[in-house]
Amino acid sequence: MYQYDTLDKAMVADRAAEFRGQVARRLSGELTEDQFKPLRLMNGLYLQLHAYMLRVAIPYGSLNPTQMRKLAWIGRTYDKGYGHFTTRTNLQFHWIKLRDTPDILDHLAEVDMHAIQTSGNCIRNVTADPYAGATAEEVDDPRVWAEVLRQWSTFHPEFSFLPRKFKFAITASPKDRTAARVHDIGLVMRRGRDGALGFEVIVGGGMGRTPYVGPTIREFLPVDQLLSYVEAILRVYNRHGRRDNKYKARIKILVAALGTEEFTRQVDAEWAKIGAEINLPDAEVARIRAAFAIVDFETLPSRSETFEAAKAASPALARFARNNLKPHKRPGYAIVEISLKGIGETPGDATSDQMEVVADLGERYGHRDIRVTHEQNLVLPHVKLDDVPAVWAALRDAGIATPNINLVSDIIACPGLDYCALANARAISIAQLIADKFRDPDRAENVGELKIKISGCINACGHHHVGHIGILGVDKKGEEFYQLTLGGSGAEDASLGAMLGPALPYDRVAGAVDTLVEVYLRERQPGERFLDTFRRAGVAPFKEAVYADAH
Amino acid sequence: MPTLIEMIDGSARSVDDGFVFVADDQDLPEGDLILTLSRFQTEGEVLLSQGRRVGVKLLADQEVEALAYDLPRLSVVALDFPKFGDGRSYSNARLLRERYGFKGQVRAVGDVLREQAGFLLRVGFDAFEPADGSSANEWQAAALRYRHVFQRAADARAPVYLEREA
Amino acid sequence: MKALTANRLSDGDVVFWSAGQWVERFADAHLFADDDPAGPEAEKAGKGQPTVVIDVYLIDLVESEGIWTPLSYRERIRALGPTNHLHHGKQAEGGAVIAALQQAHGASRSTGRVNLIKRTK
Repeated sequence: MYQYDTLDKAMVADRAAEFRGQVARRLSGELTEDQFKPLRLMNGLYLQLHAYMLRVAIPYGSLNPTQMRKLAWIGRTYDKGYGHFTTRTNLQFHWIKLRDTPDILDHLAEVDMHAIQTSGNCIRNVTADPYAGATAEEVDDPRVWAEVLRQWSTFHPEFSFLPRKFKFAITASPKDRTAARVHDIGLVMRRGRDGALGFEVIVGGGMGRTPYVGPTIREFLPVDQLLSYVEAILRVYNRHGRRDNKYKARIKILVAALGTEEFTRQVDAEWAKIGAEINLPDAEVARIRAAFAIVDFETLPSRSETFEAAKAASPALARFARNNLKPHKRPGYAIVEISLKGIGETPGDATSDQMEVVADLGERYGHRDIRVTHEQNLVLPHVKLDDVPAVWAALRDAGIATPNINLVSDIIACPGLDYCALANARAISIAQLIADKFRDPDRAENVGELKIKISGCINACGHHHVGHIGILGVDKKGEEFYQLTLGGSGAEDASLGAMLGPALPYDRVAGAVDTLVEVYLRERQPGERFLDTFRRAGVAPFKEAVYADAH
Repeated sequence: MPTLIEMIDGSARSVDDGFVFVADDQDLPEGDLILTLSRFQTEGEVLLSQGRRVGVKLLADQEVEALAYDLPRLSVVALDFPKFGDGRSYSNARLLRERYGFKGQVRAVGDVLREQAGFLLRVGFDAFEPADGSSANEWQAAALRYRHVFQRAADARAPVYLEREA
Repeated sequence: MKALTANRLSDGDVVFWSAGQWVERFADAHLFADDDPAGPEAEKAGKGQPTVVIDVYLIDLVESEGIWTPLSYRERIRALGPTNHLHHGKQAEGGAVIAALQQAHGASRSTGRVNLIKRTK
């Protein structure tokens, strides 16, 4: 993993010191709330319904056990003993006191963590493939380029006051686990015909009020020109993106208004004028690359007799292995996904105790490497198959061995009206009610891959537009209602969901999802996921079943 | 008149403003002037021929490209921040320095707070009219708060990757 | 009826206005009649305390089984705490008003549902 050197550490320390001064000026009255609000937002500090919320950055979703333990400790010391992992792979604390935040930032800085650019109209945390460095599918390690972008974008003097927030995703696998096509910029690594590495550059995807699957504006950008090219994109956006209406200010609106061809022409014209000295020198890229190379993999047989025997003896372990283990590039290793979607739990929440268990497992069995996925789960990317039974047992004892990765109960949900000042309706309890319908793990496995994503308002933090089943909370005369969409996908086959029909009241949503699943089970052909059946059969049978049921 | 802070050789100083900003509907006073773009385009030639120093104030939605051929004759380009969060003038400033090689003063006016000081300096501003009552000392402390920078911009600061090589 | 609410600057906690002071429990909040000028006056006074509270505003109340409760869900959740952690926030303390808030049916609700809080967990 990338280790902060003294220069990186100094940046974090300087930021913490600056914020300490700003908090003092606010508490003394020297700064008004109007002046202070953008400053606290730049440090990831929001006022929510019950308290302040602090959003801690987890750059490209990668952290080490020491950092995870610190998050656990902060959760216990300054919050209520837990934290919430988000779809931006960050961690939110929901019960924070303003007066404590300078100390919290100092504690975070001790382990090279911070809340820099976790809010505000700046370049936010980059999403990278959570299987980076572990999957055999990838053509390069995307964390290298995510770190390049982290450094370039941190306190960028020209691009810290953009029209609106700006999010990158980067993957190097054909299987997209980052939702690259619904980001402001999605970078998909490829090899060119001559074998050289480059990026497909997708711009102007997004969710929120006006969702778009982003168009590709460059099929192949050589890797060494990444920074000059993204600088050109950001400059065109900073100068021409709308600032008169926050709902029309994301880059997707500019791309759509100009048209892909004209937007691309403007970017290329700007790019032609930007000097190559903006690009990172090869030596620095090599330094970053070296930091991500794990050299101490053991040479192992691809089959572990220990693991096979343990699976044979424990159906629960076998189920966990079927659903939560993913193939590793090295024989004898596995990628272990840790579900934060226990039935009846809050999606993405982890208690301080659970964080410490994951930290210990990462330390002992996982090359000190822990990842956060945008689907609000955790990953131990490098675990020996021999060790999987021990890892599973420890997770089970901590209540986080739920064998449901990519299944119907592996639901994305934003904090919704239970916490968020912007929300119109609850998201968490809808997720809980749906998960409860699929409590039977045999049934859930029979249903197979089904991605449900729930947002408590149109801002779409819960990615509902790209859920196989998307659920959007709306307010109807003070009552919570939910709009269902079907057929969305945030993966390589990205698409936006289509409206199912009129919004449903709170107490009918879980039943409607159950009905949708029953229609799928009835209609599906061999090998079809829910999404495939929907794409083949269309909305009609689903709509008919849900709304027939209503009358 | 708002305080003017100039950054000279890395040190912030409170100075007397030698220029007067003139709105489109105001009579022209004596001395050195900062004009709107449209007024500069109609009256700038005459004023320059009188031997006056002339500057132009660009609003956030006006682009430096409009001044491309006039820059060598301008002493000041003032770039407006209609509000703290409007970042367009950062791009204008950087282009003035990097693309057009403008050597005159680039001044930040409008809703200019000390929290922006570091960013402003890095994109090429060297004069500031703070709206938050910052003193030169406070401005200096804010501008130099960060000991390192991560990326190239319009200033001479070496990014961390060059510091690492050294 | 109306009540005046805000979040305390130093810790963000939800507070209510009561006889010139900010209190933490909705049960202790002063209730203003809809046409009582004291409500807007208190709001103005609260907004004049920028180093004590932020986001000062009046909320509408509705009567539910003899107890005045906030009309909107959002305000009930602020007065109680999150529905996914029933031991977090003000609801942890319990008591008659908390119980009434948890079971309140809104006047604007047309269906028989709409208990804000799941009663079993």
